Amino acid sequence: MALLTSVSSSNYAEFAVPDRYHANRQGPKRWLFSHAMRYWHLWVLLIIGAFSNALLASAIPILTGQAFNGILADPPMLNILLRSAALILLSQLLRSGLQLMRNFSAELIGQRLERDIRDELYVSLLGKDMSFHSLQPVGDTMARATNDVREINFMMNPGVNLVIGSLNFMFMPLIMALRYHPSLILTPALYSLFYVLALSQYLHELDPITTKVRETFGHMNTRLAEVLDGIETVKGAAQEEQEVRRFEKVARAYRNAFVHQGDVEARFLPLLLLALANAAGFLHAVILFRRGLINVGDVVAYMGLLQLLGFPTFVSLFAYARVSSGVSAGRRILELINAETHIDQNAQGYVGAMRGEVAFRDVSFAYHEDVGPALEDIRFHVQPGQRVAIVGQTGAGKTTLVKLINRTYDATSGQVLVDGVDVRDWNIEALRRQISIIEQDIFLFSRTIAENIAFGKPDASMEEIIAAAKAAQAHEFIMSFKDGYETVIGERGVTLSGGQRQRLALARAFLTDPAILILDDSTSAIDSATEDKIQRAIFAASKGRTTFIITHRLSQIRWADVIIVMRKGRIAAIGDHETLLRTSESYRRIFAG
Amino acid sequence: MGFFANLDLEGYDRQYSDRELIQGIGAYFKPHARRIALITLGLIIIAGSNATLPVLVGRGIDMLQAQDDPVLLAILTSAVFLFGVLAWVANWVRRRMTVRTIGDVVLTLRTDAFRASVNHDLSFFDKYASGRIVSRITADTKDFGEVVTLVTEVTAQFIQAGILAAFLIKIEWRLALGVFLFLPILFLAASSLRRLMRTYTRLGMRAMAVVNAKIKESVGGIVVAKNYRQEAAIYREFEEANEASYQVNVRRGFVLSAVFPMLNGLGGLATAGLVYAGGLTVVQGIVTAGAWYLFLTSLDRFFFPVLNLAAFSAQIQAGLSAAERIFALIEAEPNVFQIDHIQPPPLSGDIRFEDVSFAYVEGEKVLDRFNLHIRPGETIALVGHTGAGKSSIARLIARFYEFQEGRLLVDGYDIRTFDLAAYRRQLGIVSQTPFLFSGTVAENIRYANPDISDDAILALAQRIGDGEWLETLPEGLQTQVGERGNRLSMGQRQLVALMRVLAHNPAIFILDEATASIDPFTEWQIQQALNLILARSTSILIAHRLSTVKAADRILVIDHGTIIEEGSHDALMALDGHYATLYNTYFRHQSLDYVEYARELAE
Repeated sequence: MALLTSVSSSNYAEFAVPDRYHANRQGPKRWLFSHAMRYWHLWVLLIIGAFSNALLASAIPILTGQAFNGILADPPMLNILLRSAALILLSQLLRSGLQLMRNFSAELIGQRLERDIRDELYVSLLGKDMSFHSLQPVGDTMARATNDVREINFMMNPGVNLVIGSLNFMFMPLIMALRYHPSLILTPALYSLFYVLALSQYLHELDPITTKVRETFGHMNTRLAEVLDGIETVKGAAQEEQEVRRFEKVARAYRNAFVHQGDVEARFLPLLLLALANAAGFLHAVILFRRGLINVGDVVAYMGLLQLLGFPTFVSLFAYARVSSGVSAGRRILELINAETHIDQNAQGYVGAMRGEVAFRDVSFAYHEDVGPALEDIRFHVQPGQRVAIVGQTGAGKTTLVKLINRTYDATSGQVLVDGVDVRDWNIEALRRQISIIEQDIFLFSRTIAENIAFGKPDASMEEIIAAAKAAQAHEFIMSFKDGYETVIGERGVTLSGGQRQRLALARAFLTDPAILILDDSTSAIDSATEDKIQRAIFAASKGRTTFIITHRLSQIRWADVIIVMRKGRIAAIGDHETLLRTSESYRRIFAG
Repeated sequence: MGFFANLDLEGYDRQYSDRELIQGIGAYFKPHARRIALITLGLIIIAGSNATLPVLVGRGIDMLQAQDDPVLLAILTSAVFLFGVLAWVANWVRRRMTVRTIGDVVLTLRTDAFRASVNHDLSFFDKYASGRIVSRITADTKDFGEVVTLVTEVTAQFIQAGILAAFLIKIEWRLALGVFLFLPILFLAASSLRRLMRTYTRLGMRAMAVVNAKIKESVGGIVVAKNYRQEAAIYREFEEANEASYQVNVRRGFVLSAVFPMLNGLGGLATAGLVYAGGLTVVQGIVTAGAWYLFLTSLDRFFFPVLNLAAFSAQIQAGLSAAERIFALIEAEPNVFQIDHIQPPPLSGDIRFEDVSFAYVEGEKVLDRFNLHIRPGETIALVGHTGAGKSSIARLIARFYEFQEGRLLVDGYDIRTFDLAAYRRQLGIVSQTPFLFSGTVAENIRYANPDISDDAILALAQRIGDGEWLETLPEGLQTQVGERGNRLSMGQRQLVALMRVLAHNPAIFILDEATASIDPFTEWQIQQALNLILARSTSILIAHRLSTVKAADRILVIDHGTIIEEGSHDALMALDGHYATLYNTYFRHQSLDYVEYARELAE
């Protein structure tokens, strides 16, 4: 329980972990930076490694130049040759170690960023209210928690690692050229200047095109997957040739984007600049030599130093793209973290034992200001222990209505009362603990059946679990598995049918014994014997508590104490079966047979 | 692909000999012969210029010592400049040509593979998961294209290394031999490092898959955790998985971080050796200082192709097997054969099975000498347990599968003599999970009859429950249905699929009824739509709903591929035989009597 204290940040949260690192969440770059700076000691190692790696790389041409001067001296100085060769060997072995330090520091920062950011994202997701989670598609959240977080790792290594590493390579010719003649700085300086200009222009030009390439590839893939899944429909309607034409169109759109990207990449100017730098540097060195300002070994060393410029030129094609996709991944994650959430834990709220009386007073609700209301003028009163059936077509507002009861959403206007207390005045923990929702999509964890049933009451005994399963008519099918209650379900275990999942969820609810049960029921039984079991389970679950059932089952509707017929966000009719047969034409129609 | 390549094998895959494969690939590149000639020319120019640059600088260094003519030096530096520009221009042309050639070849491959796929009969799609076919058409073709690019790059580097090697041998073969001896060592080192990397990557990926599954679950489970206030517990689990992921990745990262430093160290060793040995030969007057310079700068240019060869050989292999997989898909043999291409006249829907035998898998007959006559305009309901052969009967009429024995006549024509597309244009088929394509409701209704007007669609829609179902769609006929129709409810999807048939008005209607639960209001509308279709077409219904069974003229009870009972609902119930048993198993709970009976279940 100590974990469930509220934080004093501007954002409300339903869940928080105390004593955590607080990253700056104003903008993706600042946010990534503040995360990265937690490991400043690794950054120090990274930068030292990158600098000394470049320094020792420039030792090769410098020492080679000395070897040349030694050999070309009259008489040749073999000891200088030997010393140069030995120093090259030593410096390169040392460089190996420093390069490893650079790489591994970057790797560690990347991995830690991935871990920390995923953790921050997860805690923030746990803190969001249910309205956030209901609107946010799970697949999208998953993509951000896995792919996008990984993208940030790649941004660090190889991305940032290569950018820093290669920039150091660019500095070396600038510094080292001075050893031979001050004017020799001209070529590397000009090169660096034009390189920065050309590269930023190149990246700017490439960015929208790579987006286009990704998009067109996505279109092609989706269209293809869709057509192959619907192949029976395609063939049934004799549309094969039309589909081939449509596919060719989307595949050609991708081909065009692909070629466009290739054309921009073909124009990569820094490569031409590098060739120009080589020629200019050579000319410059030759002129200095002829004036007797430098000797042959210096020319050799200088030409070697200019070779170092190749590294930033080649890796820039790839390293900057990594960094920029890392920043956009960061933006997507931060968006999710910063998404506002309105419901907090309300720790000081009402905490009484719930009887299960529910009243809606002139309730309206809209998911968003820009769209029309999903619910309008909802007014009804339910006594403790009553069974309420909610019926209506898809989109009529059935699910939205029940989600106002446990404060998944808050009403836009009007009041929702539980036991005469406005739900906004309830302690949210007390409110939700006494209300169980069984959603249409039942989520089960890849664990044993017993653990899944006991999810809401982890300390439940085996006897309690079995009793709950029996009441939910689940015991029989559970025992049909070899491992009984220890059977693992989900990806790594057995697959359950919709009806079986529903009965496990009911068993879960039996165990927590809520005052109010909300059941979004959309299963259908293939055979009548299974249907009997489902009916029994639902009837049993609704005993002794207020129950809201969104259902298609005529028998559940027929025997409900209150039936609410929803139509386009309003209550079209309300009452018991006899009343509705008299008052509602469409209700009469469905019971006409 | 690489690691898991063997897991992707499908039944139609076959081993191509290298010659077949190269011929197959060659055929796709043939239309681009002119571009390929330009690319080759470009490659040679690039390689030549790149190889010439160090040679020129080396010559320059020799001239410096000789205090040669300044004009010659000027020519030399302008040559350095010109060759640099030439290489860039040649590269520019080559890349433009390459990207076009590969773009076009991949496009043709994709279209061919797609056409081959959609022209297969349904037995093909039963056997092979569509996700894997998709990945052949998009991912494998992409891999193949990338490998071709890679091959041209590596080729350029090899030509360049070859030219340089010739120079080096000409200058001093013993020193050159020393350089060449170093290359196999480098190659071995690079290959063994690559193997190490692969092992660690594979280990890491396996561990990651487990961790990712855990992370996915804890993200998916957030909503349940919130319902039951178990946030703290689920967070602990997440933290554990996240930490485990970190540990695995750091270990893997260390190995990856060490690869380049190790290769660089090796490179340093070679450079030091060459500086020393080369210096000695200069002193002895065997080579000039310029030549020594050439040897030193060439070392790097030998490095790259060798490292690339070590790194990319697996990738090139993978690219070739990608090509193999695409060809296998394109060339897979179809099962349904038409022996003629008769354009059928407007059909009345008289269908006759004469001693038809059919098996999905050889030796497991689903229909054995099956006989049935469906009269024009009749409505037939097929009922029976799963696997009785109901769907097979419907699928043979749709000609989705090939049968092995007997005859199937439609309006007196052998079904094998029709032009398949023309025949199917007279069928309306709704499958168990009605399939919609992303687009608007109207586009989906129009799918089989593109010419129908908006007004006509609206008029049809009005005939179902006064068009009330259109009001529940946010933008009526212009509502976007989403991918696979996922923005509509199951009931709405069924309505749209039935509207598609109504708009099409086929002679023969085949329905594999959905089993999904649908709200009673929509259910009523579906029934209305169905009644409209049944009145107009010869209908074959694989019925799961009581109301549908009751609407049939004739119910056929199917068991083990034969008809064991037939008649109307009332007549068969009175008979109290197989149908009555089936009714008690599958349909009892759908009756209104059950609604009253359910009261007893509550006790």
